[in-house]
Amino acid sequence: MTSEELEKLQVTKTVDARGTACPGPLLEAKKAIGTIKPGDIMEVLSADEGTKVDIPKWCAKQGHEYLGTIEVSGYFRIFMKKH
Amino acid sequence: MANKKMCLGLFTGSLDKLTAAGVILGGAAAMDMKVDIYVLLQGARAFRKDVGDDPDKLQMAENPNMKAEFLQSLKNLKVKTWVEFFKEAKEITDVKIHICGLAGKIWGGEKLDDFISIADDICGIGAYITAAQEADVNLFI
Repeated sequence: MTSEELEKLQVTKTVDARGTACPGPLLEAKKAIGTIKPGDIMEVLSADEGTKVDIPKWCAKQGHEYLGTIEVSGYFRIFMKKH
Repeated sequence: MANKKMCLGLFTGSLDKLTAAGVILGGAAAMDMKVDIYVLLQGARAFRKDVGDDPDKLQMAENPNMKAEFLQSLKNLKVKTWVEFFKEAKEITDVKIHICGLAGKIWGGEKLDDFISIADDICGIGAYITAAQEADVNLFI
């Protein structure tokens, strides 16, 4: 998805993991995805460079759909759809 | 699909390697892996109730003269302690911590109650080898 498309997504849950280092953002994502319904969109905010590699791999393994990442000043917005 | 299994032989009782093990456990927890940890020789000392999270009682495996910098850096980055990592992983996925009976005795721990509460049981080497044979991922730290 393009950044413009990602911006327009109806996000059900935003997880702000900017205060944590690896594996914090991944674990925050793991905990939060259990609280939303299949088909819902979740956004993870992370200032950890590794998260933008970790989350797509995690989504692939867990069966969720990784939608894309927007790089903002100092952090990343990572979008996924729950399976 | 059945959860993948990880078997971790945890020999180390050093602060830096225990922290690395904690980070790896976090990853395994995020992936819903079933984890069995076998705490061997030096590890059993770290799991003793009077040691655990106390950094004064644990050494570094590498760069021993940089322990203070290491601890400060972890604090600045808000990284959890190794025990906190292990606890969090147990909350998220199926993690069982087995203390090697011989290792426990070497460090004066005879009963489960001599170790921090995250330890699940005391076992022998047969249990470790069996779990290692059945695991999808084997690590030794």
